[in-house]
Amino acid sequence: MTPKLAFWLRRAGMYVLLTAIALVFVGPFLILLSAAFKPAGQAVFSFPPDIIPRPPVLTWVKEAWTTIPYLSYLLNSVIYVGVMVPAHIIVSALCAYPLAQANFRGKNLIFFAILSTMFLPGEVMLLPRFLVVSQLGMADTYAGVILPGLLSAFGIFLLRQTFAGVPREVIDAARTDGCHELRIFWHVMLPAARPTLAILGIFGFISVWNSFIWPMVVLKDSAMYPIALGISYLAGVTGTDVRSLAAGTVISILPVVIFFMIMQRHVLEGMRGAVKG
Amino acid sequence: MATHVQESHAPSAAPMRRGRKRNVRAPQPGRLPGQRWYTPYLFSLPALILFGVFFAWPAVTAIQLSFFKWDAISQPIFVGLDNFARLASDDRFWTGLGNSLLFLVGMFPLLVVIPLLLAVLLNQKLPGIKTFRMLYYLPVVTSMVAVGVAWEYVFNQQGVLNWILTGFGILDQPIQYLLDPVWALPALVLVEGWKSMGVFMMVYLAGLQTIPTNLYEAAKVDGASAWHRLRHITVPLIVPYIAVTLTMEMLEAMQVFTSVYVMTQGGPQDSTLTLGYYIWSAAFQKYDMGYASAMGLVLWILLVLMALANYRITKGRTVTP
Repeated sequence: MTPKLAFWLRRAGMYVLLTAIALVFVGPFLILLSAAFKPAGQAVFSFPPDIIPRPPVLTWVKEAWTTIPYLSYLLNSVIYVGVMVPAHIIVSALCAYPLAQANFRGKNLIFFAILSTMFLPGEVMLLPRFLVVSQLGMADTYAGVILPGLLSAFGIFLLRQTFAGVPREVIDAARTDGCHELRIFWHVMLPAARPTLAILGIFGFISVWNSFIWPMVVLKDSAMYPIALGISYLAGVTGTDVRSLAAGTVISILPVVIFFMIMQRHVLEGMRGAVKG
Repeated sequence: MATHVQESHAPSAAPMRRGRKRNVRAPQPGRLPGQRWYTPYLFSLPALILFGVFFAWPAVTAIQLSFFKWDAISQPIFVGLDNFARLASDDRFWTGLGNSLLFLVGMFPLLVVIPLLLAVLLNQKLPGIKTFRMLYYLPVVTSMVAVGVAWEYVFNQQGVLNWILTGFGILDQPIQYLLDPVWALPALVLVEGWKSMGVFMMVYLAGLQTIPTNLYEAAKVDGASAWHRLRHITVPLIVPYIAVTLTMEMLEAMQVFTSVYVMTQGGPQDSTLTLGYYIWSAAFQKYDMGYASAMGLVLWILLVLMALANYRITKGRTVTP
């Protein structure tokens, strides 16, 4: 065997292996997709599995769309993402700026207080946080869903590191030019942190779009449900055809998957920043 | 906004030190003409208010409530340590704790070991490797509700898993995984692990990219096999990252809730009742607020102890090249 042939054989083998593993990760979604477009006459479950819909139909997408108020759930999710993602970034950045660049009394206390939120497990906080939110009269409101999600140690942490890397000279130059702090924050710090902002945007989009437990606990009125919670309602509707449940699920994950595919080249960089420091 | 990475807490020390050094150099540290003493506090104010209202206050409430009996409607009754005493004799609590520990053990290979191998595989320079990275990460991006629905099609009696296992002659007859007290928990472990694997893989991948490639080249010249290179270069250098993934795995496994809620509701016969699910059901189905808080507190203490233990075990094993 020539070395060249050996090289290509190795490489082909590598792709076979990579593809086989990829099937494990993508497979369940492919089955979901196939079920969503199968005509009524074709069995969803069979031995051997019959994956290709013949012919593909949109019946179930339509049915899912009309069984539950899909459009308003999607719109709710858009609202939650549109408000929470920027607000979370602004809150984190505002707090991170002095933590990174100023010296003031209580700086470490503030930092460790916020850091400590990472150790409060989510399931444990669910009940007491719900009680506080209802005491504030925010149960069953958009504010109740949104406000608790605006603070994260992760966001403050990541931005603090990024801001610490901005040279002091740049900030001082802006100050001598007569910039007040808010202007420096807006025109110097935020642009300098653009890659980090992108990461927070991506992770924020994904986690808000998929948020499920907290909205379920806060909201009684299903009119305010985000889409991830909305489809669980579809799953609960008795007599729902499995195909229409599949179609409903596909609609719910499509936006976030597309968003991720567009933004994915930033993800590994973000991970590197988040873990290594 | 809970993301998975939020749970890692590795980078705490470095930036702080950097900040201090800079301040020592500057003549008037962090304070310049025109800046009032309260400016930094104004900047942190939104975060501090949110912290107080949605973290500190609930945390105090939880501790307080664990000493009361309260159905969320009538007046809370002080019961001292009764809730904690009740825990000791509550079989379902111990079942839940046991199941959570089973998740912890079951998810260890799926989240700490396999992702390292996947990361090594994905760290090669091959055309199209980024597409594979993206595909492996896909489950992380989607919601657990959607994942639950997708896996129902795998676990169905006429589903793909049964077709494969009966096809290879491993099973004589198909199993209804989610309705079987023996198989429901392993099935959920598989789903949870599959869903989060991508995050852990990315953490390792980030770590692998910090290892200088000339180490591998030197080893190759010396005739080290792929296995030897993994064993003697990759693994030792990746230990700090294993510490991170281990902590993340513990936190995640001990809090499993959504997959249980979506796929089994704790059944069949409490075989998938996790601590997280039991706390949720005590609070929001039975309105037994004090008892739920007491359980939450126990889980909280458990998690802190585990994080500390993990810190002690992995501390000092950080290897530098």
